[in-house]
This record gives sequence, structure tokens and C-alpha cells, in this order.
Amino acid sequence: MIRSLKVACLLAFTSVTKGNFRIALLTMLILVLVALNLLFVPGLLDGLVWGANDKLINTYSGDLLIEPDEGNRYIANVDQLMTEIDQIDGIKSATARNYLGAEIDFEGKYLDTTVFGVNPDTEKTVFTITDYIIEGSYLTPDDTDTIILGVQLAGADRPNLELYARSLQNVHAGDRVSVSYANGIQKEYTVKGVFYTEFIQTDLQAFVSEKEFQTVAPLLANNASAIYIKTTEDADTDGIINQILSTTNGLKVATWEDHAGLVHSMTASFKIIEVIMDVVNLLVAGITIFIVTYIDVANRKRQIGIQRAIGITPASITLSYLIRALFYAFIALALAALIYIYGIIPLEAHYPFHFPFGDVYLRVIPFVLIRTALLLFGVSIISALLPVHGVMRAKIIDAIWS
Amino acid sequence: MIKVQKLTKIYDMGKVKVKALDSVSFNVVNGDMLAIMGKSGSGKSTLLRQMGLLDLPTTGKIFLGRYEATRLAESTRAGLRLKYLGYVFQEYALLGELTAHQNVYLPGMMLNNKGSDYKKRAIELLKLVGLGKRAHHYPKELSGGEQQRVAIARALINSPKVLLADEPCANLDTISSSIVMETLAKLNQDMKVTIIFVSHDPSDKQYARHILTLGDGRIIAQDGRPA
Repeated sequence: MIRSLKVACLLAFTSVTKGNFRIALLTMLILVLVALNLLFVPGLLDGLVWGANDKLINTYSGDLLIEPDEGNRYIANVDQLMTEIDQIDGIKSATARNYLGAEIDFEGKYLDTTVFGVNPDTEKTVFTITDYIIEGSYLTPDDTDTIILGVQLAGADRPNLELYARSLQNVHAGDRVSVSYANGIQKEYTVKGVFYTEFIQTDLQAFVSEKEFQTVAPLLANNASAIYIKTTEDADTDGIINQILSTTNGLKVATWEDHAGLVHSMTASFKIIEVIMDVVNLLVAGITIFIVTYIDVANRKRQIGIQRAIGITPASITLSYLIRALFYAFIALALAALIYIYGIIPLEAHYPFHFPFGDVYLRVIPFVLIRTALLLFGVSIISALLPVHGVMRAKIIDAIWS
Repeated sequence: MIKVQKLTKIYDMGKVKVKALDSVSFNVVNGDMLAIMGKSGSGKSTLLRQMGLLDLPTTGKIFLGRYEATRLAESTRAGLRLKYLGYVFQEYALLGELTAHQNVYLPGMMLNNKGSDYKKRAIELLKLVGLGKRAHHYPKELSGGEQQRVAIARALINSPKVLLADEPCANLDTISSSIVMETLAKLNQDMKVTIIFVSHDPSDKQYARHILTLGDGRIIAQDGRPA
């Protein structure tokens, strides 16, 4: 076996170094493009899903969401619960929110929404909404008579917004809006800021400080409609959920994935697209290697016959073609990976693809890199094997003198 | 000892069947230098290809020592080609992407007997055929005669018992032809390799100890005596 391998390596090496350079270059170029596609498509789709999930977690749901279970409208004794939650291993931070349905009125335009009472200090430890303020500024704990609005509510004179037509359309920071809460309280607020996270569900929200919210719903002091939790990266989610549920009765805990309905269906569709693209790419790679090997074998039929006549085993000759095909695939994959990681990704980072929920950045996924390598190598072996196998079955005499 | 018994080869060309060899029988003793002579189409090359295990006869037997080569599986025949037989083709048949040195040592690398230094032996063989200084040249950089001598060196790399040469001088000029034939004669004399060569050139008879003459696929004379 080692002898066969040594002979095969020699034949493959001389065939690559002394063979037709242009054909080798062209083959590798096509394989580089195929490998780039095999890396790019999953990288883009994964970047897309990752971007959507990131927005969902950091602006809307947190990693975990605690809500009162059926039969309870609010979580009671929030201060004590928050203290206990903070002590659970794997929890980075938590913030409690109360909310009430409300109608916002601005210059004769009405809009139904939900107004959240938040603690601005703890909010910043769980969410990144503060990074997306496009007008004015974020809330402070002592703010009263002020509100911040998501851009899909305010409109902010941005007619390109997805929900601009049903928004207040031209509300800006500093404007005064009237809010009629579901409990009958009506308040005038100065819009302190407008935020634009590019995640529609978040941009449909409105926030007032906890202090302000208690003036609207004083009975909800030390209660919360929900508690949002940020966990550490290596957190044991199931363990955390069990610990939370054991602290108090009447709670239910959801993960961010339970809120990712849209992203879930998007991911499933992307997976199908990815599989289709992969199959097409691998067919291109396979057919390219098959054609190159087939033409090469046809041109070298006599040489192969001579090799067999002087005692080189068919296994060695076949192996030499497989080594050559794997060499082309390896070089193509290495070049494609270098181009992708050091060329396309930095370029795309400067000019990112823009999707409805924000900029999407290409990602390097080690699993995809390994999968691409294995697929490309597998296709190369099969595509090289088929034409060589035909010549190996022919009689030596026919191979040499036909 | 090589024994050929009632060897017949019929080529099936569709509607036409061509009998290239017709019940040919003869023996070759170890260390012999046998010339197979005859006109074009007499079956010389066909006979050599059967003896070189490159093709199977339609009927008949070939014994290489104690092996009945015609009954062996292709993998075993490949092993015999590698260990016991050296074959020199009419058209040099070198591998163009390999140097003369690599061409010679390739079958040695394939066999790689324990303790054998096939690369060193390839250089020695190239020196033996007068091409020591052309070892790292590619076939296209060598003349026809030089290429044929490289092919002879390649055929000898695994120290075969028998060297078969199919019209080794057919494409060579007179001077190159005599160098190649003298090289074969020297190998037969010095290394005791059994050499069987095919030729249509009557002047090559001088190098042979025995002569087999074929006509229409049959032996028509042995050592000048009609069969």
C-alpha cells in the first residue's frame, strides 16, 4: 500500500508540475469559485439569521423572559425576586417592566400601542436600545412627563419606514404627544427621544421611566408585567429556568427562541435555499473535475497502458488521479478560504448588506468550512474515479495500441 | 525456461476473424538470446505480447518457469510483469513527464524489494546503457536511440529473468540501432538475462543465439531450418 501510494504521489506530482499549466489553472479557478460559493451562501444566510436573532435578543426579548403564568396579571414582590434572580449562576443582569395599553395622539393622528415603564439603569444592562437613539436622548431614572418612541410609532418624517403609513408620521424629539392609558389616565408627554433598532416589533414600542409609570399606575409598585434576563454566554439555560421557577410560584419562563417565530420560519427557508445552492455548486465542481479528468485520461490512455505494462498497479494509477484531484480541491479550498476571510469579509464589513432588520455581516462558520472541505473532497474523488475506472477496465493492449 | 504450447490468437474484428498466431510451440532456455524474425503481419509482435503477458491468447499455454501464466489472474500477471519480465516497446514508450532517471526507477519503486536502492540502481543502469550523464533529462530532450536505451534500463530495473524487446530498433538510424542491439547482447552476456527480441531486419540475426522465423502466424523455420 505504501509503495502504491509513493508511486501514485510521484505520478500525481509530475502530472501537476509537468502537465498543462493552463488547464490546471482553469480547473482550480472554477473550483475556487465553487468553494467561494459554498462558503459565501451559508456565511450570508447565517449572518442574516444571526443578525435577526441578535436584534431580537438585545432589543426585544432578552435571553429569557419571565412572565406571570395564566391566572396572574402581574409578578408580585418584584424587588425581592430581582434580588434572588441576580444571585442565580449564569444570569448577567435583569430588568423588570410594567406595561399598559395606550392610545397616543399627535396633531389629530391616533395610534394604539403599548407603553412600557422601565428602569433606565437596568434596561441598559439587558438591552441595547440606547444605542439606537436617532433623535434626542434615552430616559434617566428621574425622568417624568417624558416618553421615548420607537420610530415605527413616531414616523419621524421617514416615509420609507415599513409602517410609516400607520405611524404618527412626523413626531420628533421635543414634540408633545398625548397618551390615553387603558386605565383611563391621560397624560401629556414631551418626546425625549426616538429610537430606530430596525427590528419592527421593538420599534413599535414606547417607554417611560418607572418613576413616571408609577404616577400612572401607582398600584403596580413592586409589581412587574415581565422580567427580562440577560445570561452569560456559557449559561445552562434549562438550569437557570428551573432555579427561577423554584423561587416563586405563579411564574412562567420563555426563552428568546420562543419569541423568534418569524426568524424561525426565515431560517427554515434559508436552509432550503442553502441546500439547493450547495447541490448546484457541487454538481459544477463534480462535472468540472470529471471533464478535466476524462479529457486527461483520454489523452493519456496510451501512457496509462504503458504504466500498466511496466508493472504499475491499477490501484497506483487510480490513486495518482485521486491525489491530483484532491490537490486541486485542496488548493482551491485554501485559496477560496483566504479570499473569503481576508478579502470578502472585510470588504463586506465596510459595505454591509442591508436587510429590514439591519446590516448583515458575513460570518465564518468553522462547521461550514469543514463541511465544504469534505463535500469538495468527496465530489473530487468520485468525479476523478469514474473516468479512470473506465481505462483501468480496458485491456492493456487496447490502452496502448488502440 | 519459457515454454510456449500450441499458442493461438484470433482477433475478432466483427464479421472478420483474423488468426494472428496458429498453434505456435517452442521453448526458450534460461540465458538464451532469441530473435523472432519474419515479415510484417507474420505474428511476431502478437507472439511477444502474449509472452510479455500484455494480452491473453485465444488458446494454448505459456509457462514462465513453473507458472502457467495464461491461467493466472490479471493481478498476478501484473506482479509477474513487474518481477520477472522486462518489456521494451518499439516506440520507446517512456513517460514524458518523468526524467530518464524517474522513468527507470518507477517500476523499481513499485516493487521496492527490501534493501534495494532503486534510485541508485537506476543510475547504474543508465550508466550501463551509456546515459549516466543524461539521467535528469526528459524524454523529449533525448534522441530516439537514447530513449530506447532508457527503456532498456527501465526494463532491467527489477532484475528480470526475461527481457522482451519488440522491434527495439524499428525507429532508429543504423548507428543507434547497432548501439541498442550491442547493449542487449552485452546484457545477455554479462547479466545472463534471457532476451527475446522481435526484428524484421536480417542484420539483427548476428546478435541472436537462436532464431525463430514466423510466417502467417506459424513457425516456418527454427535456426534457419524449416519447421
